[in-house]
Amino acid sequence: MHLYIFGANQAFNPILPATGEIIWSVISFVVLLVLLAKYAFPPVKKIMAERTAKIRGDIEAAEKARLEAERVLAEYRNQLEEARKEANRLVEEARKTAGLVREDLLKRAHEEAADIKRRADEALAIEKERVMNELRGSLGDLAVELASRIISFEIERQNVDPLVEQFLHEMGARSK
Amino acid sequence: MFVLASINFPPIGELLNWKTIFFGGSALAFNKIGLITLAAAVITIVLFVLAGRGAKLIPTGLQNVIEYGVDFVTNLIVLEAMGPEGMAWVPWLVGMFFFILFSNLFEVIPFIQMPATARTSVTIPLALISYVTFVVVGIKRQGFGKYLKTSLVPKGVPVALLPLLIPLEFLSTFIVRPFALAIRLFGNMLAGHLLLVTFAILSEALFVKSILLVALPLPFAMLVLVTGYEIFVSALQAFIFTTLTAVYIGEAMAGDH
Repeated sequence: MHLYIFGANQAFNPILPATGEIIWSVISFVVLLVLLAKYAFPPVKKIMAERTAKIRGDIEAAEKARLEAERVLAEYRNQLEEARKEANRLVEEARKTAGLVREDLLKRAHEEAADIKRRADEALAIEKERVMNELRGSLGDLAVELASRIISFEIERQNVDPLVEQFLHEMGARSK
Repeated sequence: MFVLASINFPPIGELLNWKTIFFGGSALAFNKIGLITLAAAVITIVLFVLAGRGAKLIPTGLQNVIEYGVDFVTNLIVLEAMGPEGMAWVPWLVGMFFFILFSNLFEVIPFIQMPATARTSVTIPLALISYVTFVVVGIKRQGFGKYLKTSLVPKGVPVALLPLLIPLEFLSTFIVRPFALAIRLFGNMLAGHLLLVTFAILSEALFVKSILLVALPLPFAMLVLVTGYEIFVSALQAFIFTTLTAVYIGEAMAGDH
């Protein structure tokens, strides 16, 4: 039984290349490179490039959308703040206006009341004057009548009138 | 010793020297290695066509996987090694990455179990393609003289040291680079392949010897472990080869050393 050490007693040399193998491996490799570079690789490369472009585009679009959203949010916040300020201003203004209106109304009411009172007083005074005059006239007549009847019929009317007048005057002064 | 002696390791030719399927006897002899490289190319193309045909803006399933691969090569290889200027090289380097990855992964695919990259017939042409590409890019971008100068004369080095450094730089850039590219991938994948073969044969031999052997689970556990590790190595080696190619092309484009 032989104990072979690899190829030790063989004519075949494992290091030397064989012509047929060289030719077929070169053909295989060259054909592979040509077919790969011309037909098989470009579609794979294309889809990878498309994906890269899409991802880049998506990221850029997302960034743009984010910035836009931030801008809109800031704008809305601004608007809200302005609306709040405006509302406050309006309320304040309304309050001020109401105060003024109230004061005005109150003032006018006071004036009107005073006016009414003044006119009433005047009317009252005129009426009083008229009544007094009337009263004065009839009272004089009545008094003269009464006196004529009581004292005498001889007393001349002309002599009595100044007395009556004086009396009435005194009466008027007292009643005022 | 008795157990080991009964294990019959196949000769290396049986592991690497595959029978011709088509075109036997001609230079075009098509064997398992040709089949694997062709399959790696076809799988890559089909996956990209399927992913690209139903491509949606929100990716699902296969489209996700392929886009992840493209993103990986774009961000971790092209942008890291070449900067934004290297974007035009993305399809080229994506193709290289997937081609090497699938060629490597056949190492752990049941019934195939052979990385095409465990043959110098595959890694040497790949390294030469990478080499020719970066040299042509360098000459096209900078012109022959300037490219030679930027590649061979390191900046900020005293003139007295140049006679020593120029041959070293020439050796490192124009001789060692393609050689190292080819050997690194080939060596890693061949070693992984042989490890898997070793543990598979060991597991099988112990199993045949006696199902009751205490040591039986150990080689099998190692086989499982190494299979997982080789998946990682497949991706890593594809990444390293593609990254180095990108670095070399980027360097040739930029012109600074």
